Amino acid sequence: MLEISDLSARVAGKEILNGVNLKVNAGEVHAIMGPNGSGKSTLAQVLAGREDYEVTRGSVTFEGRDLLSMRAEERARAGLFLGFQYPVEIPGVNNVYLLKAALNAKRKAAGEPEVDAYEFLALVRQKMKFMQMSEAFLSRGVNEGFSGGEKKRNEVLQMLILEPKLAILDETDSGLDIDALKVVSTGVNSLRDPARAVVLVTHYQRLLDYVIPDQVHVLSGGRIVKSGDKALAQELERRGYDWVLESRVA
Amino acid sequence: MNAALRSFEAQWRARTPDALQPIREQAMQRFLKLGLPALRDETWRYTDLRSLAAQNFAAAACDFGRDFQASPPLSLVDAEQRAGTVALVNGCLPPPAAMPTLDGIEINSIRELSKVDPKSIMRFFEPASDADQRRWVLLNTALFTDGLYLKITKAVRAPLVILHVSTGDADQAAHPRVIIEALPGSSATIIEHHITQGDVAPLSNSNTHIALRNDAQLEHYRVYATGRGATQLDALDIHQAAGSQCKQFTIALGGSLVRSSLDAHLSQPGTSLDSYSLLVGHEDRHLDCVNIVTHAAPNTRSRQTARAIASDASRVIFNTKVIVKAGAVHSDSQQSCRGLLLSPQAEIDTRPQLEIHADEVKCAHGATTGRLDPDMLFYLLSRGLDRETAQSLLVYAFLADVLTGMSVSSARSAIESALISQLPESQLLRNFR
Repeated sequence: MLEISDLSARVAGKEILNGVNLKVNAGEVHAIMGPNGSGKSTLAQVLAGREDYEVTRGSVTFEGRDLLSMRAEERARAGLFLGFQYPVEIPGVNNVYLLKAALNAKRKAAGEPEVDAYEFLALVRQKMKFMQMSEAFLSRGVNEGFSGGEKKRNEVLQMLILEPKLAILDETDSGLDIDALKVVSTGVNSLRDPARAVVLVTHYQRLLDYVIPDQVHVLSGGRIVKSGDKALAQELERRGYDWVLESRVA
Repeated sequence: MNAALRSFEAQWRARTPDALQPIREQAMQRFLKLGLPALRDETWRYTDLRSLAAQNFAAAACDFGRDFQASPPLSLVDAEQRAGTVALVNGCLPPPAAMPTLDGIEINSIRELSKVDPKSIMRFFEPASDADQRRWVLLNTALFTDGLYLKITKAVRAPLVILHVSTGDADQAAHPRVIIEALPGSSATIIEHHITQGDVAPLSNSNTHIALRNDAQLEHYRVYATGRGATQLDALDIHQAAGSQCKQFTIALGGSLVRSSLDAHLSQPGTSLDSYSLLVGHEDRHLDCVNIVTHAAPNTRSRQTARAIASDASRVIFNTKVIVKAGAVHSDSQQSCRGLLLSPQAEIDTRPQLEIHADEVKCAHGATTGRLDPDMLFYLLSRGLDRETAQSLLVYAFLADVLTGMSVSSARSAIESALISQLPESQLLRNFR
């Protein structure tokens, strides 16, 4: 599904990613962990196609296609979804309007007809209920006045409606209380499917109690320094990141 | 003395004195002494009037040869939804027979009223202490042919439309004058709609004076939808008495040179003003908007929301100032100016200012100008929207703060439509409505 090889990238002239290698197969859930400033969010943004992040080396393929040559909107339509760490507020752009435009953009790219307005609203209502979101969010501007937790739920809602092949969730768990964390986890788990893959970027292990990863990677200094299964996450929680970094030096 | 000044003086000498002569005389002498505003004048530093000053102006004629009401280029309110329409042509009033009769709004000619009841009208012509900054209003006082005096006596729901038609040549000048007085407890919606017949029209030097008595409520619109060669100098004065509320919309969609000013005086406790400005720079339009809001009494509230968009080689200036006078405690003011540049040649200047002479006040101001927010754009792109749609959507959203404040929904949608047609990707923008 996703193959990253020797990926290096610069942000504002500063080298952030430094030779990332990662392979994610369909059906898998990968967790990318790491200390602050290790390049986790940069990796997520580069994969989603942020233009002011400059790729200096390496390659990324997504379902065999050269991802780096695609524009952000093309990546989204091809089935890649980024759940933002800090979803931006866009007052004046209606939340549902965006959802509909996004879904139709994807359908159009796939040669499918536009979604029927009535069916669409029914779908949104159903998914909102699942995410335990109030229908009041239907009429609001995109993330406008949402609390941190509401923004994250809204990201997962978008993901559930767009049904991406590859979902990259950038610290979707941060700032959530335990109830919200469960709701968000249920949302992510509902998307698990042999044909899809999920990459969870997270700072803490607690999300991984609810969304069990197949593989866990530690990103540090812009590269993956250690990989393992879910036991690695538990060990990190116990021993901290210093342990990985030190053992690597040793 | 420059050519323009000489020509205005010649017009002054040629006119027949009327009942307002003493006031006019005083204003004209002062205007001649001060001359036209120049770049060195604080509130005129962004607008160069030298080419205008070099012109000779003749008085624009009262031309009622056409039925202008039948074909305004922008219909803000359907005829059946209006309380009525008064069309002024080059500032001239229609014949009495063409004036609508309304329940709750008395419509009078300033000149006629000054003959029979001068006292009722003179009070609106007291020269302001800052007249030096308001020289075009002085000229208007001296030269206006006739003006409209509206007296709102009770609650009127349907909007009244004042259609200002400017027709003729660019070397002519007109001085439309409107006085709106809302009696205690009354309420109304008044829409002043400025249009021209064709691209070129006489210089329009208009002035509107609004006086709100105790607890009166007014929603006032001024919409400049003039031709691309038109020059508009428009001054609006608002005087508010205790408990009155005013919602004011200034929408600039047309013209070549537009200078728009708002002078609001929150003179008594409990007054509230919401001012909205939507300034659309397009092609090589020059749009200069100056708002001065004076809090002169305790517990007064003002909100100023301005959105400026500049595309092509246009220039938009938004200067706003809030003055809180000594003793005006618990004044509460906010100024929010946001500018959006859509082309590298366009320019937006915003300058929010505060002058506070009282303690215990709440005054906030913010001004930002930039291109489309890259974070917002990336967010929309990452959801699969194509670039043009995403950009248009953000432009549309940018305008929403002003548009959503409008109570007259037909005016809102007409303005939205006219505005969108002046923006890049206008076809796309229509989809969001």
